[in-house]
Amino acid sequence: MTTLPTPATGPAIAAPGKYLTFTLGQESYGVPVLAVREIIRLCPITPVATMPPHVRGVINLRGKVIPLIDLRLRFGLPAAEEHDRTCIVVTQVASAAGGTRPYGVIVDGVEEVAHFTAADIEPPPDFGGAVDARFITGMAKAASGVKVLVDLDLISAAESATLELPSADKPSTVS
Amino acid sequence: MQDQDTSVSASPDALRQQLQQIGLELASVEMMADRPATALSDLVAAAATASAGGPPEFAEALSLARAWASGGRGPLSAEARGRFALWHGWMEQAVTAWERGRSLPAWPADLPRAEPSPRPAPPRGAGAEQTVPLLPGGIDADMMQLFCTDCEDFLRDIEQGVLVLEERPDDPETLNTVFRAFHTFKGNAGMLKLVVLQRVAHELESLLDSARRGQLRIGRPEIDVVLAGADLFSRYVTAVSDRLGGRQTADSVALPVPAVIDAVQAVLARRDVAPPPAASRGTAKPMPPAEPPAGLMTVETSSIAASAEPTPEVAVAVDPATASAGPAAALRQAAASGSVRVDTGKLDGLIDLVGELVIAQSMVTQNPAVSGAADEQLARSLAQLRSICSELQRTATALRMVPIRGTFQKMGRLVRDIAVQLGKEIRLVLDGEETELDRSVIEEIGDPLVHMIRNSADHGIESPAERLAAGKPAGGTITLRAYHQGGFVVVEVTDDGRGLDPARIRRKGVERGLIRADEHLSDREVLDLIFAPGFSTAERISDVSGRGVGMDVVRRNIERIRGKVEISSTPGLGTTFTVFMPLTLAIIEGLLVAVGDQRFVIPTLSVRESFRPQPGAVSTVQGRGELVTVRGRLVPLLRLDRHFGIQSVFSDPSEGIVIVAEAGQETRCLLVDSLIGKQEVVIKSLGETFPPGRGFAGAAILADGRVGLILDTTALVRIRNHTTETAA
Repeated sequence: MTTLPTPATGPAIAAPGKYLTFTLGQESYGVPVLAVREIIRLCPITPVATMPPHVRGVINLRGKVIPLIDLRLRFGLPAAEEHDRTCIVVTQVASAAGGTRPYGVIVDGVEEVAHFTAADIEPPPDFGGAVDARFITGMAKAASGVKVLVDLDLISAAESATLELPSADKPSTVS
Repeated sequence: MQDQDTSVSASPDALRQQLQQIGLELASVEMMADRPATALSDLVAAAATASAGGPPEFAEALSLARAWASGGRGPLSAEARGRFALWHGWMEQAVTAWERGRSLPAWPADLPRAEPSPRPAPPRGAGAEQTVPLLPGGIDADMMQLFCTDCEDFLRDIEQGVLVLEERPDDPETLNTVFRAFHTFKGNAGMLKLVVLQRVAHELESLLDSARRGQLRIGRPEIDVVLAGADLFSRYVTAVSDRLGGRQTADSVALPVPAVIDAVQAVLARRDVAPPPAASRGTAKPMPPAEPPAGLMTVETSSIAASAEPTPEVAVAVDPATASAGPAAALRQAAASGSVRVDTGKLDGLIDLVGELVIAQSMVTQNPAVSGAADEQLARSLAQLRSICSELQRTATALRMVPIRGTFQKMGRLVRDIAVQLGKEIRLVLDGEETELDRSVIEEIGDPLVHMIRNSADHGIESPAERLAAGKPAGGTITLRAYHQGGFVVVEVTDDGRGLDPARIRRKGVERGLIRADEHLSDREVLDLIFAPGFSTAERISDVSGRGVGMDVVRRNIERIRGKVEISSTPGLGTTFTVFMPLTLAIIEGLLVAVGDQRFVIPTLSVRESFRPQPGAVSTVQGRGELVTVRGRLVPLLRLDRHFGIQSVFSDPSEGIVIVAEAGQETRCLLVDSLIGKQEVVIKSLGETFPPGRGFAGAAILADGRVGLILDTTALVRIRNHTTETAA
C-alpha cells in the first residue's frame, strides 16, 4: 500500500527502434517512426464545437477527414504562436473498430529520425504526480538531449474516453 | 426390356459416358450408406440403352446390375456396393475392348453371375441428417469464400425462378435458369469434393431437367422440394460463411440431406407414371422417361468429367434460350458480359480520390494565375479537364449503384411462405426492379421492407373467404414498386386488402396509452400511430407479424438512412406504405450556411423553409428562451453561434437568416448569419475522436478543399432549451 497510484497503470516501456523526434516548446518528444504516415504543413483547420480545447478540429487530407490534436495543449503546455516550422504529423493509431485510423497532431517542429537502442531508453521516472505520465513510455538519451517517448495509441484512446465526461454535466432535463 | 429404343445407335462413347455417371453415383452411394439406389437403377437402364447393339455380354452384365440395384427400392447393402465396384471396373475395360475391336476381358471370378436374393433395406428415420464438412480437406478458405459468393447468386436465381414457375410452370427460360443454377452448383460442389451436396444438386438438377423436357409439370410439391433443396444449400453456405468469419467454430454442419433426396425422388417417381407429354419432336414414339436424349447427356457428363469446372460457356452452349429477354436472362447476360467483384473499401477509396481530383481541378481552374491567362489553348484544355473530371465523378458514384432487384426478389419468397402459412392466396407484383440505389441504402431497406410486407400479408390481405364475401377476387395482391422522384428513390408497398380502420387504431392507441381519449387527431395522424413503439393492431399474436415490434423499427431504420415513410389507406380497398429514400448514403444535398467565420452544411431534406425575420418577429420568454413566428405558429429559436460558441457578426436576429428545420413532428428555427448556397456534398465520418450526438452528423469537403461540418438536424431540433442557455 506504499506504491504511488500514478505509474502503476502506466504503459509498457518503449521498444528500441527508430523514432521521429519533434519539439513542443523547449521539450523534445519521440514517437515510433512506424506509426508516422506523413508530415504536412499546417493547413486550414475546421474547428468542431463542444470539444475540449486540445482537439483543434478536423482537416482534409487528400479527401479524408482526419482529427487534429494540439499536443502542446494535450500535455498541458501553454499554447504557442504558430510559425513556419509548426507542422502536422499524421500518424496511424489503433482504431476501436480494429485496424488503424489516421490521427493528426500539431507539433512545434520536427527534428529527426533517431535510432534508440534498449540501452538508450529508460523507463519513465516517477514524477510524483507532478507530471501526467499516463502516455509516457520511456525517456531516451540522445546526443541532443533527452527525448520523451509517448504512446499515441493511448493518447487517442483516452481522447474518446475523456470525451464521455463532458456529457455528464450537460443537463438533459425537460425544460 | 432395355432395348426399347433402337433409334439410338449404340456407341462406345455413349456407353462410356453412362459409365462415368454410374461411377459418380457409386462414389456417392459409398459416401451415403442409406442412399436409395434409384438413381443407380436409372443410370444402369440408360447404360443398357446405350449398349444396345453392342456385345451380348453387356446386356447380360447390365441386367445383372439392374437386379442388384433392386429396382431402386431401398439402399444398397455393403456387399452390393462391393459387387458394383467390381462390375464397374469390368465394364470400363470391356467398353475399351469393344471400342478397339478386341475380345472382352474375362468376367471377374469373385463376381457372382446369379442374382442374389435382395435383402430388405432397414427403414430410415425421417429426421435423418447428414453431416457435411464446412472446410473440406485440401480446399483453402478463399476457395470456400468464392464458392459461398457464387452460391448466393445461384440461390437467388433459384428462389426467384421458382416463384416465376409457380405462376408459369412451363416458362422455358426460367426452367433453364433454375436448371443451370443447380447444374453449376453441382459443378462447384464437385470441385470442392462436397460429394453430398453434389448429390443433392444432381437430384434437383434431374428434377428440373425432367421439367424442362416436358416430362414433369412443376406444381406446388415440386416447388416445395426445390425450395427445400435451396434452403439446404443456403444453410450450408451460411454455416460456411459463419465458419470463415469466425462466428462459429464447428467444422461441419448437419443437413437434412436424405429427406431432401427422398422428396426429390418421390416427385421423380411420380413422373414415371405421368402420361408422356406431346413431345416437341412430333414423333409418335414415346421416349422412355428415364433416358434423356443422348445429346444433352453429353454436355452434362463432359462438364462433370472436366473436374466440374463452373464454366458458364458450357451452360450457354446448351441453352440458346439464354439470349431471350427477361430479367433472369438479363442477369445472366450481365454476368457473362464480365462483371468484377470489388472490395467496397477500394471503391470508397476511389470515390474519395475522384472527389479530391474534382476539388484540385477547380482549385487549379480558379487560380488567378490560370484564370487570368489569356491563352485560348489553355482555356480549352481547362474546359476539357473540367468535363472529364465531372464525368469521372458521375461514373465513380454510379459504381456503387445497384438495382433493387435482388431485394425485391427476396420478398417473393417471403410472400409465398406467409401465404402458405396463413392459408391465403397472395400474388406479389414487382415493378421497377431495375431502379438503382446505392448499395448501402439497399442493405438498409431490406429489413423495413420485410416488416411492411409481413404487415400487408398478415393484417392487410384477408382470407379467401372474407375476400369473396367482400366481392373481391379470392387472391390478394401485394405490389412492390420502385421509382425515382426528385432526388429520391420511392418504394411503395401496396396491398388490396381490408385497409386500416382509423377508429380501431385510435381505440388501440388510447388503450396503449399512446394518445389521450380526447386528443384531436387527423386520420393521417391516427394512421401514423402504427409506427409508434409497442403498437400492434393484431388481435392475436401471430408468427408472421403482430409481436408489437416491427412498424416502429421500420420508421427508425428508414429515418436512420435519412429517409421517411408515409402511410395511406382506404378501408376495404387496401393500404399503401410509401418510403422515400436518398439515392445514396454517401452524398446529400445540403444548404451551405455561414455562422461567424465557419460554414456548415444543413441537409436539405430536414429544412422546411428559410427566411430573414422581420424586426420584432423574435419574442423572448422569461428573458431567455426565444421564439419565432413562422406562419402564425411560434417555433423555438436556436442561435447556432451561441450554441457552438462562435463569434457571430451580429446579434440582432433580423440581420441573419432563420432556417426552419424539422425532425419527425418537431420543428425548430436555427439562426445563421447567411445562406451561401445549395450544394451536393459527399458525407465523411468524423471518426472516433468525435462522439456522436454532439450536433454534427459528419463532415464534407467543400469546394475550396476545406472541411465543412454537416449539422445533425435531428439532434439540434430535439435539443432541450435548457442546454441552449448553458451554451449561450
